[in-house]
Amino acid sequence: MTAWALFAPELSLFGGALLFLALAMGKRSRPRRDFLAALAATALAIVVGLASLKAEGVLFGQSYQIDLFSQVLKVLLAMGLFLVVCLCGDVKGVAERHRPELYLLLFTCSLAMMLLTSTVHLLSIFVALELSSYSLYVLVSLRRTRELAVAAALKFFIVGIVSSAVMLFGLALLYGGTGAVYLNELARALPAAADQPLVQVGLLLALCGFFFKLAVFPFHIWAPDTYQSAAHQVTAYIATASKIGAIAILVRMASVSGGSLYLVHVLVALSILSMSVGNLAAVAQKDLKRLFAYSSIAQAGYVLIGILSLGPEGYAATIFYALALLVMKFTCFLVLVVVASDGADIEVAQLAGLHRRSPLLAMALMMSVFSLAGIPPTIGFTGKFLIFNAAIERGYLPLVLIAMANVVVSLYYYLMVVRAAYLLEPATELPPLQVSPAMKLLAGTLVAVMVICGIYPTLILELSSSAAAVLVK
Amino acid sequence: MEFTGFPYLTAILLSCVTGLLAILFVPDENKLAVKWVSAVFSGLTLALSVVVFLLYDRTQGGLQFVERAAWVPAFGIQYLNAVDGFSLPMVLLTGIVFFTGVLTMWELENRVKEFYAFYFLLVTGVFGLFMSLDLFFIFIWYDVSLFPMYPLIAIWGSTRKEYGAMKLTLYLLAGSALILPAVIFLHVQAGGTTYDITALMQPGTFSAADQKLAFFLLYIGFGILAAVWPFHTWSPVGHVAAPTAVSMVHAGVLMKIGAFGVLRVGMFLCPEGWQFWAPLMATVAVIGIVYGALAALSQTDLKYVVGYSSVSHMGIVGLGLSTLTVDGLNGAVFQMFAHGIMTALFFSAIGYIYDRTHTKMIPELGGLSRIMPVASGYFILASLTAVGVPCLASFWGELMVFIAAFKVYPVGGVFAVGGLVLSALFMLRVVQRAFYGPKNEKFAHLSDVSFGQGIPRMILAAVIVLFGLLPSILLDVIDTASVAFIKGLP
Repeated sequence: MTAWALFAPELSLFGGALLFLALAMGKRSRPRRDFLAALAATALAIVVGLASLKAEGVLFGQSYQIDLFSQVLKVLLAMGLFLVVCLCGDVKGVAERHRPELYLLLFTCSLAMMLLTSTVHLLSIFVALELSSYSLYVLVSLRRTRELAVAAALKFFIVGIVSSAVMLFGLALLYGGTGAVYLNELARALPAAADQPLVQVGLLLALCGFFFKLAVFPFHIWAPDTYQSAAHQVTAYIATASKIGAIAILVRMASVSGGSLYLVHVLVALSILSMSVGNLAAVAQKDLKRLFAYSSIAQAGYVLIGILSLGPEGYAATIFYALALLVMKFTCFLVLVVVASDGADIEVAQLAGLHRRSPLLAMALMMSVFSLAGIPPTIGFTGKFLIFNAAIERGYLPLVLIAMANVVVSLYYYLMVVRAAYLLEPATELPPLQVSPAMKLLAGTLVAVMVICGIYPTLILELSSSAAAVLVK
Repeated sequence: MEFTGFPYLTAILLSCVTGLLAILFVPDENKLAVKWVSAVFSGLTLALSVVVFLLYDRTQGGLQFVERAAWVPAFGIQYLNAVDGFSLPMVLLTGIVFFTGVLTMWELENRVKEFYAFYFLLVTGVFGLFMSLDLFFIFIWYDVSLFPMYPLIAIWGSTRKEYGAMKLTLYLLAGSALILPAVIFLHVQAGGTTYDITALMQPGTFSAADQKLAFFLLYIGFGILAAVWPFHTWSPVGHVAAPTAVSMVHAGVLMKIGAFGVLRVGMFLCPEGWQFWAPLMATVAVIGIVYGALAALSQTDLKYVVGYSSVSHMGIVGLGLSTLTVDGLNGAVFQMFAHGIMTALFFSAIGYIYDRTHTKMIPELGGLSRIMPVASGYFILASLTAVGVPCLASFWGELMVFIAAFKVYPVGGVFAVGGLVLSALFMLRVVQRAFYGPKNEKFAHLSDVSFGQGIPRMILAAVIVLFGLLPSILLDVIDTASVAFIKGLP
């Protein structure tokens, strides 16, 4: 009985997935019913996740670890899913008869992410990662404008399976070098094996699968096309919730890596490249979702700085930043979904006049991009501050200076978004946006969360610190 | 938690924040109500700053009005406010410019509510920075005072406003990109337990090498905001593009944040770094003085003239800071105050003229003093202050800086005084061409400043004359801080 209770957050999502599997078989499409059911199921998942926040234990013969770290991230994942479902009231980009499948895949993907936060067995890590990836491949191709979406999904798929294959190879090398399949065994074996090239290469290759998920350079090439071609809500999901799972497993893998310098050097290089490539490419983007795609690549670079600090401060900072990314990115997509009410892609310039069409959304967009750029007093600043603090404690001052230079570059394109929303006037007068009270409430809450967590981060900081402390016992 | 007496400093911040919230709740259409709410709250803020200035105990000196509360205990971040002889003049300056800025913009009609909301946010950041003694908060306030600049200039500005706003924001954020790593670096090197400046400034906290590195980062980072040559190019462009009140706050107060940051963070925490880099600071400052004066000489836009003269005048501040003497520090802080009031008056006068004539081009204005004698009078008064005429505020600051500079850097001092002569030349030339000479009939029908419109300018002019005649009111305060600071140097 207790074992089932430990597994409750996953079971709640699994239940939701089964429900939508059943609904998908029905003949009549009833989008409203599907939407409400999904809202209820995800709300339930958050409640269950919060209730089992303090749960601890081991399941499935040592291969599934439930600790504060995994539970915090599961709550984040459930919240991410809930937020994305909130946007799904009218998914113009996806045909009505495909709505149950949309929810089904969102649930299975989130379920896989949850498994990823807890699993400590190399093979089940791989399986969980694949489950989440396959759900996403299909989700991307669900969009109505088929040709582009299918092309993007194919690109996504090819990059995905290549990185999976590389990862599997890496896992095999790791197993060959250390004989370990459980992460705790690996944690004991790795420090001793720091001088074995086989093990070091294996560890690095094994991480490639997660780099793909997080869109770290050079596994980022899927991101722009996929972001642009998927339905807005699906892109919102990829940009927010799906990153949390990748961050979770990367942090867990880093915590068992034994602090090898070789790994750190590679991560430093990848971090610098991700930040620079992402930010420089974003400067040239016109399409809003492509811009967010490149900004995600840059954000992945900042996340890596927290991870490569290889210490409890760095992990705590990364967990905090995962929450920050969820809130900031989601707010951007909320605005995007409302502004592009017909489900078509929009360019940055099409945000023109937003400050009159909906002052609240314009403010939410401004706050979220300033937060993404790391300007206080926002949650994004606090997250970056924590990450840089951890890195400087480890003596990586030059890396932080490079990261700050990137922040300046990123401010340029974030300001272009603000400029479009606040300064540009549309060529033809557009009517005020119809924003439902629920959306207004959501946007207002998100802005409040961004500012409050920026001004007074203590509570969340303590939670993420204790979550990170679990990893370095 | 520690509060000594009534928390005046928190009250100043709260007055700004309450004003901001109050503005947000006034209906959009009711522009006059927005202006009155702004005037009341900025007036209250000014009153509080004056009270703090008067209540400060000059005989005792040191940090007063200390307010301390834990904020993020895990990182040793505190809400820690206090004023000393360096920050007190800046608080008073901000209060004056804030209030007069609100009044100067009384005729604004476009998106009034948003304008004042951003304006209040900007000023809140400025006040916070001057009063805070916690490194982390100083950084937060720095950025809070930066990012409203973008919408303020880009929406309500003129002359290439989007370019100016973008350039300014990116330059200043580049400055903060150097400050943040330096701040964290100092925090970590001191053991990672506190951001409290009073604790971190104890001698022996940082090694000489750390101080040199950190001071360099801080000097460049804050120096960008102080328009230190060669990082000054954002400043004239930004001044020109900004709307009047924003130019006033920007040149009057925001640039002082840069110099103040070098003083408060760089020099307080890294005195050895300061001594090491002082010759560089002096050289750069002298180049700035001469360069700013030369550049101003060739401008035809009134706002550009003032913009470049600000570069020159901020060079004087930098020169004062680099002398490592009591006189130099006194002069630098006095000059910061005087220059703040003076540029506010400059931009306030130009704002009035531009609103009426729709031009800031010197050749087009010609003979304006015959049409608008009062408005021209304010500009001319500001020019005389800029030139350093005795009995006007700026004179004392410049005098002290140059005396100190001649002792420490004789060659630099000669060049700096040469720059001052140049600045006298360009100011008088501008005054002569724009305000004297034949009357321009095109503007003959325009009205002069009325009494109501003149209130903010009168306040500024009065302050210039008051501190020009009685510099000791201010100097006594600054002296308490600089004497103690120089004595405490290793």
